[in-house]
Amino acid sequence: MRTAGTARYALGGLGVLLIGIGVRLVVAEPDPAGVLLWLAGALVLHDGILAPLVLAVGLLLVGRRHRGTLRGALVVAGGLVLVTLPLLVRPGEPPNPSALPLPYGRNLAIVLAVVAAGTTARVLVRRRRERAQRDDGDAEGAGGAGDGGAGGGRGDGDD
Amino acid sequence: MDVMTLRPRPTPPSAFRPPSFAGRLHDARTATAVGRWLGAAFAVCFVTGLVSHYLQHPPDWAAGRLPSRPVWGYRLTQGLHVATGLAAIVLLLVKLWTVYPRLFVWPPVRSWRHALERLSVAVLVAAALFQVLTGLLNIVEWYPWPFSFVPVHFAVAWIATGSILLHLAVKAPEIRAHWGRRSEGTLALPAEDVRDRRSLLLGTGAAVAAVTVTTVGQAFTPLKALDLLAPRHPDHGPQGLPVNRTAAAAGVSASGLAAWRLEVTGPRPYTLTLAALRAMPRAAARLPIACVEGWSVDAHWEGVPVRELVERAGGRPGRDGVRVVSMETAGAYRVTEMGADYAGDPLSLLALTLNGQVLSLDHGFPARIIVPNRPGVLQTKWVHRLEVL
Repeated sequence: MRTAGTARYALGGLGVLLIGIGVRLVVAEPDPAGVLLWLAGALVLHDGILAPLVLAVGLLLVGRRHRGTLRGALVVAGGLVLVTLPLLVRPGEPPNPSALPLPYGRNLAIVLAVVAAGTTARVLVRRRRERAQRDDGDAEGAGGAGDGGAGGGRGDGDD
Repeated sequence: MDVMTLRPRPTPPSAFRPPSFAGRLHDARTATAVGRWLGAAFAVCFVTGLVSHYLQHPPDWAAGRLPSRPVWGYRLTQGLHVATGLAAIVLLLVKLWTVYPRLFVWPPVRSWRHALERLSVAVLVAAALFQVLTGLLNIVEWYPWPFSFVPVHFAVAWIATGSILLHLAVKAPEIRAHWGRRSEGTLALPAEDVRDRRSLLLGTGAAVAAVTVTTVGQAFTPLKALDLLAPRHPDHGPQGLPVNRTAAAAGVSASGLAAWRLEVTGPRPYTLTLAALRAMPRAAARLPIACVEGWSVDAHWEGVPVRELVERAGGRPGRDGVRVVSMETAGAYRVTEMGADYAGDPLSLLALTLNGQVLSLDHGFPARIIVPNRPGVLQTKWVHRLEVL
């Protein structure tokens, strides 16, 4: 126990040391206040805007059937949109013809369409499986099979 | 620290009532399950970032000893750096979603220790968000901030990594209690959340996979057909190869090259015309151009081995380094240096052709450096002078 405690303090101490190195490097910059502003800005942007927005979208899914699948689809789509957004809204011309050469708006639309199609297919398959299970269950007098099964991902608990 | 334990909480005055969260999965098991992947991603980014930093800005004692092998070393580390950083965007946001309710714990500060812990978490979150945001904007070459990207991304990487280590130390008991599916803390959580949690983790994994598959082709060329959303594509650029700095941007023009000569200094200095350089014994190499911004492409290069040029100037290949001077009028990389290992590597070329064609102006005509395991910015183009050191 004592060694675990020591290791824990050593790890924390190492962390503080690295933070110190980073702070020294930031302070040595010509405009440390600008860095601080952007650090705080990132925090505010996330905690004040992005996270509440995501939670609000999450509220829309409460109690829906296939909530897990829909949530997964939104996480996938959200990740793709975030990664592509800078490419779409970046002001000015790309610095050279080989930078940002792709039609990103069109490509994002294609990828999101694939996500939507995959989600729809998954919902349909699950719906059919549920119906089959229900029919089986009626025949055997047993309720819907609980969990487990194909690793393809159960767990769309509709809470 | 003790959000998971139920204890009577003081009721805040109604005017300041923080939001309450009825949703599930804002728990330590979910945080641990996502957090360890996020931690691994940040570790990869930190290490690969350091690799690039010290290859580009080696301390004096190491400058002459950097290894020119493996050939694909820089390509791998920088491809990983950016791919992992992109994956970390998804992981970070899911992790923060999981722990978001803790932002509103009441009372906001219970003790000095609690205040310090909250401050350290604020530093961690700010630094982590800052790193993925600045990294993401850097790869699209968008610099809306008042500071210089490279040194600040490097500096904040230390803060982010340090805060992660500190966070791991602070949370160690909770992490241990929620590490496995059968860990004591995990089992104490509502059993009905298990399926829901698995579903969330699957969704997160799918998002990481989707982001990776649609971008990693910019470095991992077998997947280039799926490179739909990356800032670069291996096939897009002059002579089918991307560039970072065009001749126009570097202030190099065809007319300015009319009187081009290659000057090589050393114990026995000499000057070569382009025809004389072309007449020297040539070698070929398949080497990647790999950019710190995460894209890379293999190409077939032909030219005169740097070691031949060094030897002809009376230098000792494998023991002497080389300073390379470009014709570009300005820029941080107009003059670069390579250590003895690079200069002595038989694959290191003063290249004259790319994929069987004479170099285009944007790729460094008439001659450019191409060396294994080196950052793209140090593969100096428009070379007109080599100094044996």
